[in-house]
Amino acid sequence: MSEVLITTGTAAPLRRRSRFFARVLRQPLGLIAFTVLVLMVLMVVVGPALLQHSPTRTSPLETLRPPSAEHWLGTDELGRDVLARIAHGGRVSLAVGLFSMLVGLFLGIAIGGSAGYFGGRTEAVLMRVVDTFMAIPAFFLILVIVTSFGNHPVMIVVTVGLGFWAQMARSVHAEFKRFRLADFVEASRALGSKHLRLMLRHILPQVMPQATVLATLGVGWAILTEAGLSYLGLGIQPPLASWGNMLQNAQAYLFRAPILAVWPGLFIALTVLSFNVLGNALRDILDPRG
Amino acid sequence: MTQYLVRRLAQGLVVLFLVSLLTFFLINLAPGGPSSLVDMSTTVAERNARYALFGLDRPVHERYVSWLASAVQGDLGRSINQGLPVTGLLAQRLGATLALALSALVIAGVLGILLGIVAAMNPNRWPDHVVGTVATLGMSVPNFWLGIVAIILFAVELRWLPASGIASIGRGFDVVDRIRHLILPAGVLAFGLMPNVVRVTRAAVLEVKATDYVRTARSKGLRDVKVLRKHMLRNAFVPVTAMLGLITTVLFSGSVVIESVFGYAGIGRLAIEAANGRDYPVILGVTMLAGTVVVVVNLIVDLLYVVIDPRIRHV
Repeated sequence: MSEVLITTGTAAPLRRRSRFFARVLRQPLGLIAFTVLVLMVLMVVVGPALLQHSPTRTSPLETLRPPSAEHWLGTDELGRDVLARIAHGGRVSLAVGLFSMLVGLFLGIAIGGSAGYFGGRTEAVLMRVVDTFMAIPAFFLILVIVTSFGNHPVMIVVTVGLGFWAQMARSVHAEFKRFRLADFVEASRALGSKHLRLMLRHILPQVMPQATVLATLGVGWAILTEAGLSYLGLGIQPPLASWGNMLQNAQAYLFRAPILAVWPGLFIALTVLSFNVLGNALRDILDPRG
Repeated sequence: MTQYLVRRLAQGLVVLFLVSLLTFFLINLAPGGPSSLVDMSTTVAERNARYALFGLDRPVHERYVSWLASAVQGDLGRSINQGLPVTGLLAQRLGATLALALSALVIAGVLGILLGIVAAMNPNRWPDHVVGTVATLGMSVPNFWLGIVAIILFAVELRWLPASGIASIGRGFDVVDRIRHLILPAGVLAFGLMPNVVRVTRAAVLEVKATDYVRTARSKGLRDVKVLRKHMLRNAFVPVTAMLGLITTVLFSGSVVIESVFGYAGIGRLAIEAANGRDYPVILGVTMLAGTVVVVVNLIVDLLYVVIDPRIRHV
């Protein structure tokens, strides 16, 4: 995150940097959220290697056990260790969230940026495409794609990203339009810079703070969407665990073992909450105007 | 004004046309698209007969043109699994989803605007922080999980409200019974929607608060409540109205999940049933319906602007 901001600084980078850190320190909640996310990433990356239980090994004699010293979060209906499944499922949920956001960010900047920069007919056509994606409720678009193209995890990533890019494109479009004739852009154009260079080197850095905020909030949205999709049985398929499909499993045992529905939900809520809090803090740090 | 409306209407139609194009071709060009619906244990002749029945023996662009021609006349084809006209299925389910969506909208609207005002009147003090926390939670908690928790709490433990369905079985139309079935799903849907309303209301009120006319009203000695009611609310409503289109899409997306959690037979549930059964004409129909509603809502929003704030003139 910090690299992005520092590269946007042109004059007096040192003073800018210290002012940046001062503003960061004024966001204790954002720092907490960031810490939680770092821990969460550590848990899903390193956790599975440290845990002694396999997320897929079933054990018919130990089903639906409450939390114990052996199984910290208990076992599910097939006797699988819930903590191991949470760690492995988190890998899938976080990865889908992050990569979907990248898909949305890339498409949003490419299409929204081109529309704003070139204007005229290009803009009219591209923005109608954006309107089209805005008019289809994200979940319906995702249903259409998943039913026709299947639910391979890569497909889920692309699909969830497609549900998110239009909003990104809208905001990027407005910023590109605002800056395309700005003096510093004109100056570089006069020196012979090509379109791509103008867009990437000069305008994009202006847009990055806002895009970073949207992208951070977007990760949270993407994780929620994947969870909803998997909960409905249309997303990540078992035996691969994701927080969403763990909840789907748990629903059948609501009365015998309601705790099974609590853990995945808590982890989803905590992760998404952290992304949202971080996003809001970043808005205050990077983009005081917004 | 008329000219503006005509242009917006034309843009709306273009968007709807693109929605149909996108959805139709996504579905029909997918590997193993609709043609995969045919049961492979049947004979070739039977399969060909089914292809012909759904028009799958014709090239895809031809099918699109004939689908579009009937669609504009209100005929969205037939469901593959149920054999019934898609339009009829949609009409059957639309009422339930409208009731759910409107209830959620009212709850989220009233609560969201109130909380947004409270937050904006006390910026960076504790009421603002409390409201901000509630709103962030609403954005972060998965709505289907909240639904499950609500069922456990209010239907299973406390037995205050029914856990699922639209109405009690074996009872005629009973308003109270219907409302009791609506409370949990609408409440859960509203909780996820509210943060949007809170955020926009808060920002709008804060902006209006800084204007000259509000300062004048205050300096005349008007009490806060009166300033709020007479000078601020109406102006703050413009941005809130502006997001109705976005809210409509969020409501539709939310209804898919929430209707499944509560076994509520509406449009969202229909979409899931169609997705699970690979019932392509129905998925297409549901998506077109949602797109149309969103486009129409956006048009209405453009008109509402002028009613709420006569200073806005569309040219």
